[in-house]
Order: sequence, then C-alpha cells, then structure tokens
Amino acid sequence: MSQHSAPPTPAEALAAALSAEYAAIFAYGPIGVRLSGSARTAARQAEAAHRRRRDALVVQLSTAGATVPPDQAGYTLPFPITDRASALRLAIEVEERTAAHWRAALAATSGSDRDQALDALVDYAVQATRWRRTAKITPLTVPFPGRPT
Amino acid sequence: MVLTCAVVRGTNAQRIDASRHSRRSLLRTGGLLALGAAAAPLTACDPLGREEAGPRPPDPLRPLLDESLALAAAYRDAATAHADLAALLGPIAEAHQAHAAELARVLGVGLPSAGVTPSSTAATDPDAAIADLRQRERVGRDGALTACAAAPAARAALVGSIAAARATHLEALK
Repeated sequence: MSQHSAPPTPAEALAAALSAEYAAIFAYGPIGVRLSGSARTAARQAEAAHRRRRDALVVQLSTAGATVPPDQAGYTLPFPITDRASALRLAIEVEERTAAHWRAALAATSGSDRDQALDALVDYAVQATRWRRTAKITPLTVPFPGRPT
Repeated sequence: MVLTCAVVRGTNAQRIDASRHSRRSLLRTGGLLALGAAAAPLTACDPLGREEAGPRPPDPLRPLLDESLALAAAYRDAATAHADLAALLGPIAEAHQAHAAELARVLGVGLPSAGVTPSSTAATDPDAAIADLRQRERVGRDGALTACAAAPAARAALVGSIAAARATHLEALK
C-alpha cells in the first residue's frame, strides 16, 4: 500500500485493460471445452464481449498513437481446469479480474473513456453474478465488484 | 451585497473628494476605479455570512450514502417479512450497508445506527417485494452510474463499484 508511483495515464490504464482482455479471451478457450448446453452458449457470449472490447481497444489505442500491448501466446491459468465446476470457477475469476482492470481505469479516465470503463466494469460484474448462479455459488454478488481484495 | 458596495465606494469617493481634484472626468475615473476596488472586499465579506453566502451545496456523494442506507433498510425489511428470501436478500442488505459505511468514511461523517426504521415497508406478497426492490435498485444503479461519470478521480473507483454492485443485485433478483 505504500506505492507512490505516478497514477497511470488514460492510455496506460486502457492498455492494462487490453492485456486483461487478451487473458480473458485465452481463458475462455479451456472454459468452453468443459461446458455444455446453455452454459457453453453463455461462455461463447461472454467471450464475444471480451473480443469486442479487445478489438475496440486496439483501434482506440492505435488511433491515439499509444502503445498497443501485444497479445501473448499463452497465459498461466490460476488453477487447472478439469471439469465443469473448475471451468465455472475460472469463468467467475476471469470476469472479476477483467472488471478489476476496468475499475482501475476509472480514476485515470474521464468523459467517454470513463463511460467505456464503467460500462465494462458493470458488464463483467453482472456476468460474474450470472456465472455464480450457473455454478450455484452463493452469495451471487460481492459488495465491491472489481475492488482488489 | 449592495450595502457593502456602498460603504466601500463611499470610502473611496471621500478620499477622491478629499484630494480636491475637482475635474469631473477624474472623479468619474476615480469612481470606476473605486467600483473595481469594491469587488475584492466583497468576496471577503461572504465568509462572514452577511451576504448571500447560502448553505454550501451538499456533497454529491451524500445522496448516494442516503440511498445506500435506504436500500439496506428495504432489503432488511423484505428479508424479515419473507424468511425464505433471507438467504438471497441478506447479503445484498449487507452490501448496501458496506457501501454506506465506505461512503461515510470518504465523506468524513458518522453513520446513523442501523435498524432505526421500525415500520416495515415490505410488500406482503414475495413477488411484489422483489419487484419493489428491483425498482429501487434500478433507480439506485442509474444514480450511481451518473455519479461515477461526474466523480473526481479519487472517488471514481468507489462509485463505479457501487454502480456495478447495484447492477449485480438487479441480476441476482431476476
């Protein structure tokens, strides 16, 4: 907590959100494999939301002449995905982590950039709640979505 | 405001008169200068509360705090009236109470003690109770979204989390 580094610029905050989106898209690969039926459809839709934001960010940062962070070939998952339950747990975590990056971008942005960050934070927080319902995990909500614990 | 201006202008005008330069143009110029000088003492007057220094506008977080407390109370009421909904509504009531506590901390104000609303406002029909909570939550979410868009950087993340939390409550009540 004793960090005294300068707050990120809007471009840095959006670049961090973009890196989180890359990782989320990667994670939905193994998640989708372990799901079926309506849960798999929901995973595809959730992944599509991350892809849309990724694409928008790449265009946005490039247009602004900012550094576009590269996607990685792979990302380390926080735990192995072996079944439906672990896939759903990872889906919840993916949404919470990306929500946290967009939440962090709120302070660094204003105007339409902040609207964009807020929209993403709300969207992913709601998606995490949907996944908790699918996984039958209670409570369905957390008090401060996106806040580091 | 007028009274203060007149006093200040009078003082300056007297000084100009005392200098006995009787050319009207000079006097007029002096009068204009005196008007300009009156502006500075005016602002100094406001903190004394003699002029139109009305009450300071409330902090924009204050309505959010009041709303969090009202929502927490509404959920507690509904959970008490409908025991089978308590597992769903209890954590949401706690979340609203946690928002209120955090907002009070940022505002530097104390929280009124919980449970001072003895009159239960919860609908007797559980579906109606949920519908009522959803409506309140929708209004609260929209208010928090607006507040976040306008919030200074230091508050944006907290208000954003509160807006997101309210949106997740709406989802949880589906």
